[in-house]
Amino acid sequence: MAHRETILVTGASGFIGGWLVETLYLQGCADVRAGIRSWSSAARLARFPVRIVLCDVMNAEQTTQAMSGVSCVIHCAKGPGKVTVEGTRNALDAALRLGVNRFVHLSSAEVYGDVSGKVDESFPLQQAGNQYGESKVEAERLCWQYQQMGLPITVIRPSIVYGPFSKTWTVDLARNLQSGMWRVLKGSADGICNLVYISDLVSGILLAARHEKAAGEAFNLSGPEAITWNEYFQKFNAALGLPELRPMDSTSVKLRAALMEPARSSIKLALKHFERPIRQTAQRSRHAKRLMRYFEQRIKTTPRPEDLSLYDRGALYVTAKAQDMLDYTPAYDVERGLEMCVRWLDHVGLAGQAA
Amino acid sequence: MSRGTSLAMAKADERCSPPLRSLGSPRLALIGCGAIAERHHLPALREYPAVMKDLILVDRDGDRAHYLASRFGAKGALTDYRQALDDVDAVILTVPTNLHHPIAMECLSRGVHVLCEKPLAESASRAREMVEQASRTGAVLAANYLQRLWPQFAATRELLASGSLGQLLSIKYFVGETFDWPSVSGFYFNSATCAGGVLRDRGAHVFDHICWWLGAKPMLLSSLTDSFGGPEAVAEVCFTKGSCVGEVRLSWLSTFPCRFELQCESGTVKGEVYDFRSLLVQTGQRRERRIALPSGDRTKVDVGRRIVGDFINVISKGGSPLIAGRDVLDSVEFIDECYAAATRFGMPWYGISGAEYGT
Repeated sequence: MAHRETILVTGASGFIGGWLVETLYLQGCADVRAGIRSWSSAARLARFPVRIVLCDVMNAEQTTQAMSGVSCVIHCAKGPGKVTVEGTRNALDAALRLGVNRFVHLSSAEVYGDVSGKVDESFPLQQAGNQYGESKVEAERLCWQYQQMGLPITVIRPSIVYGPFSKTWTVDLARNLQSGMWRVLKGSADGICNLVYISDLVSGILLAARHEKAAGEAFNLSGPEAITWNEYFQKFNAALGLPELRPMDSTSVKLRAALMEPARSSIKLALKHFERPIRQTAQRSRHAKRLMRYFEQRIKTTPRPEDLSLYDRGALYVTAKAQDMLDYTPAYDVERGLEMCVRWLDHVGLAGQAA
Repeated sequence: MSRGTSLAMAKADERCSPPLRSLGSPRLALIGCGAIAERHHLPALREYPAVMKDLILVDRDGDRAHYLASRFGAKGALTDYRQALDDVDAVILTVPTNLHHPIAMECLSRGVHVLCEKPLAESASRAREMVEQASRTGAVLAANYLQRLWPQFAATRELLASGSLGQLLSIKYFVGETFDWPSVSGFYFNSATCAGGVLRDRGAHVFDHICWWLGAKPMLLSSLTDSFGGPEAVAEVCFTKGSCVGEVRLSWLSTFPCRFELQCESGTVKGEVYDFRSLLVQTGQRRERRIALPSGDRTKVDVGRRIVGDFINVISKGGSPLIAGRDVLDSVEFIDECYAAATRFGMPWYGISGAEYGT
């Protein structure tokens, strides 16, 4: 891929897509096209003078239009299972028809399923038992079919991505830590937390997109350190300047996770059918609002059984292939990555806030 | 705005407004059929069936205008506002900000009253021209800065005006709301149509409150934004006025408690931007207490209805609107100054050094 070629990033209003667009702009790649589903999610990208186009990957016509004239697509758009799979199919269809030179697909290390030990790209794809993983496996299989049809595909399998703008592993976790209700999950979060800082991931994606021999290849991208999940919670907690986390024993953790599930489902159901009256009640009564906030925090700070399964996983995603072939060298250790997270959280007014 | 100009405008307002072209209820056109029209103005106008039956909806997207006209029971739909101007007494402008000035100027010059969405215009000079045009023709120029009427802000103003708190010493005002407005046209982010970012949009209300509370435009001390050439999504502004210093933080990228806090010589006032029912007040040696606000307005929709109702009333019977265009000139001018002086935040995560938030 030549440096000044036109690149469409789908899902550009998301965490990783947004970073790709921003990085391409800051690197001087002026022909970046940011594909978004709706204007309501454009505030972050619009700060940069880049071309923003509507590209709802569930809308085949709009996707084709957005892709017209581009030489490289970096496909980050995802959604509920059907969107991830059918949206990827639409994007692949359009790319094949338009003769795009390279289609980079953002997959996930979740495609390896619930495995342990050192995991490289030769491991078979299998279901981890969650909808996200299942849809990523299906989408990736589609990609390999299109590779067979002649579309040059590169697949990226990131591990746990954190950094500024990350909702799950930065903003939500920071809020949980700030709430004072988060705990060191003794015996339940000692699996490997394969962290990769966002700008390392973006560097890796762009190296792969620009490498001639990366077509038809998949790459694991992870960070330079292998720490446990509990260590991540503690390091993040310390970086936020919060009092030391208290421990919770494994039995209590599992019991709470199991007991909270029915409550979580009931609240989800109630919100689905009665969101308006519930919000109105919260607006009218300070006590109701406080109570709702408390329950919300309790639910958010209680890991789900599938979270515990992730925190317990002993898989180490090996990046030797990316290092050898692409010269991928992650630069951010956890300490430096977290320093950036905290400075960004402060910038957007989220550091030092009780949730 | 000089005091002389202000007085001249005030006097002009005392002249008679142009008479209604219609007998009975005023005939209105709503120009711009985006999300704000659908969510706020049309539901408010539905409470005036006599106005609704003559209402013309105007939008470049004719299908959208027809759809909303039939959904809300309006008289008809047009794609060019000029076709409506001979037949209406007033317009409600809900078009992208860069179109406020040209359309309002044309309407006002023809004696057609205008209720204009916020921000009044994309610059103070254009806003001033609109105000002056309204003064010349006697047409009403009302500004939809509805947050002034929210009870928590109005009560704060009353407390300050009562003198019970003494001199104002500091203002802190924080608004963090992840941008998710379902903009139909995307004008907020289109370089040809957008008039700025969070400073111009959310800042319109925030700086309007501040100018209103202070009684005048403050002096800008510093202005930081995260713009790389497009509309900014995070901004921090520091200002002073007499013995008062102030700090404003605005964010479209995150959601955090939206609140304001005023420190005075003899007490404090604290409020939440979306709490219509109470303020926390501390005076003299007394402990901080929560005071209930008696207003009947409990949501922004309630206040929106009041603004539309007041506009219909003023153009029918005369008088000044609850918030006239001239009332918001100070804040529009201050926001211009924020843009003119803005420097970029240090953002080390992008490898960009400089001043960071709150430093």
